Amino acid sequence: MRWPGRTIWDTKVQDVCGIITAAFEGEVYLFATASFAQVSLDPPMVIINPNRTYGIDQAIKNSRRFAINVLPASSRELMIRLMRTRRRQSSKEHILGLKIVVNEHAIPYLEENLRTIFCEVQRSIASGDRGLYIGKVLESRENPALGRSLPLLFSQATDLSKCPRLRRVIRTSASLTGVLDQLKTLRQKLRPLPPPNIALTTYEEAGATSEEMQRILTIDPVDRGRKIHPAPAVRVPSGGIGICIVGTGWGQNHAKYLRMAKPDLRLFVCGRQREKTDRVARSLRAEGAFYSLEEAAGDDRVNALTVALPHHLHREAVEIAAQAQKHVLVEKPIATTLDDADRMIRSANEAGVILMVAEDMHFRPAIQKTVELIESGAIGEPLYLLAHAGGIRRPSGWAADQELMGGGVLMDIGIHYVRAIRLLMGEPKTVLATRAMQINNRMSGEDSAQVVFSSDVGWQAHLLCSWSSYRGHLPDIVLVGDKGTVHLWPGATILDYYPIAPRLLPKLVSYVRPYSLQERLNRPILQRNRIRLAHRDGSGYLAEMQEFLSAVMQNRRPATPAVDARRDLEIILACYSALSSQQRISIP
Amino acid sequence: MTSPYITKSIIEAAVGLVVINAGEKSNAMTVSMYSEVAHHPTALWVSIHKSSFTHSLIQDQPNFSLVVLHQRQSDIAIQCGTVSGRDQSKCSLLDLYRTNNGFLFLRSALASTACRVRESIDLGEHTLFIADILEAEVESRTSHLRQLLLSDITENALAR
Repeated sequence: MRWPGRTIWDTKVQDVCGIITAAFEGEVYLFATASFAQVSLDPPMVIINPNRTYGIDQAIKNSRRFAINVLPASSRELMIRLMRTRRRQSSKEHILGLKIVVNEHAIPYLEENLRTIFCEVQRSIASGDRGLYIGKVLESRENPALGRSLPLLFSQATDLSKCPRLRRVIRTSASLTGVLDQLKTLRQKLRPLPPPNIALTTYEEAGATSEEMQRILTIDPVDRGRKIHPAPAVRVPSGGIGICIVGTGWGQNHAKYLRMAKPDLRLFVCGRQREKTDRVARSLRAEGAFYSLEEAAGDDRVNALTVALPHHLHREAVEIAAQAQKHVLVEKPIATTLDDADRMIRSANEAGVILMVAEDMHFRPAIQKTVELIESGAIGEPLYLLAHAGGIRRPSGWAADQELMGGGVLMDIGIHYVRAIRLLMGEPKTVLATRAMQINNRMSGEDSAQVVFSSDVGWQAHLLCSWSSYRGHLPDIVLVGDKGTVHLWPGATILDYYPIAPRLLPKLVSYVRPYSLQERLNRPILQRNRIRLAHRDGSGYLAEMQEFLSAVMQNRRPATPAVDARRDLEIILACYSALSSQQRISIP
Repeated sequence: MTSPYITKSIIEAAVGLVVINAGEKSNAMTVSMYSEVAHHPTALWVSIHKSSFTHSLIQDQPNFSLVVLHQRQSDIAIQCGTVSGRDQSKCSLLDLYRTNNGFLFLRSALASTACRVRESIDLGEHTLFIADILEAEVESRTSHLRQLLLSDITENALAR
């Protein structure tokens, strides 16, 4: 039975699949395509039509060279993964684990393919949302290892089912027996489609007008704003190590996770108040107690210190440890001023010791998983982030003193979310901060504040920090992309992913009538894809301690060096400038 | 079969037919040089040798159909790729039907698409025709089959 074609894909002109590769300014660009072909035999010339909103278009326009890597049928998975990767993802070759080689024509190409055709652009033709390039073939190289294998075809690459063979069998039977036609007829009866309009439907599904193109291309088609990457949990090596926790308050939490990370470590406690220090040391079954930092740092049994002191004391503590050639893990924020942070980093570098800042967001499994989802393209372009860092806290002592704390809730809690934003979205460019009337007047720093970060690559993030609100049962981070939304729950080992395309159940529910019943059936849970994280350490505290211990024992740079924390501090200080000026501030 | 389109092709490609309905001068020619141009405006391109009958017909009038053949239609590709339309009426050998808009589509092909030339670009021995897509039809009974490839034709020809 013949059916009207509704989109350009129904014309079946997309056939052999390949990956176009090009390089520009030291970066390699990849583009999955099924619409390239030879256009002339003598001299041999080819045509490609990359999407103009992808970085490859700029790379070809500037470098005038590209390679077509024809994929064998066995590369279906690779093609699917590349097609799913988000448009603006940089370094796609790393995400896909591809080996890129550069040949004598200075054109990057993939080694594992059926054939590679190296081309030089002869002519480009204005053609709407695609860049149409006619390339002279410089060289065509066959991969003898793959012999006469068939190429991957677009129809195979767009079959996203997990069992493509089974699906093919079902499809073939349905097609030959006429069941497919009956199903199509039934669907048409249930939900009649409008008269076919290939131009309009194709545009609605994947096209762009020149005005829309211009709007999209006002920002770089490649997201280069991501400078840091979350760190996976590491295994702590075997062997003896002595760690002294400095600070008997939050320091006890350090001790708990250090012990979990390495049950056989030698633990020491350092505190100013003898009685409390001894009591904490006993309760932690520590091997010894110290009553001054110099004493702890100077003891040969101690290899490293973890510092959980009031913020204003961080610099002095790190300098003492570095002077004694001891590695240090210091609580966030690294310091209260950039000058102090610089001095700490300098003293650690000069002494050749590790300085790591305790930032659990860097190790939080949900953040890692979300970054994986972003890189795989499941979320599309991450555009909005909403973070709610709430909780009732009545700070007292130094924590209630704006000067010793270096601020208020933004400095203490906001800084975690700054790291989360950097990991998930990238580096913010400007900040706007504001706050309403203070709720808790017993602290001199702000107890609540709202901040909006903007980037120059098109995203925004909103952070609400408060020590005077119950968080309730809410995700602490909601990330919105153009293909899906993710909810991250504080300290939890689950992650909720809501793809923008309706899943099967919500689709079925959309057919239910009357509408009142449909409304009752239509629950958010139907669209939710709850991802259980393999790691039991929802907060990332354990992974953070594992990383510190491993870095110390292997004498290597930690996954998150102190300069990352210095940058967090720089951003938080920009938030304070924005708060006091009530102006949008450019972050240095 | 020793067509230069097979011996000189450096890229494996799907094979189709360009069918032109120009009254008595209707013709069908096997092509392997065609692909998509853009999604907006929706367009495709086809490259045709200047010496071919089809080339002269397209230059006379801008409408043509692009028929994408499936893997079991190598006979049709050979039939329409070895004889010139100047010497033989190839359309009469094909199971064609006429659409409401007057385009000739092939029954049982994977898909047939009606196109109108928007721009022609001289590429030496070939002309590149960029055409707007007007309408298309897909055949559900053959939808499980893949496109006919150049290598299928070579194998088929060798088998003879």
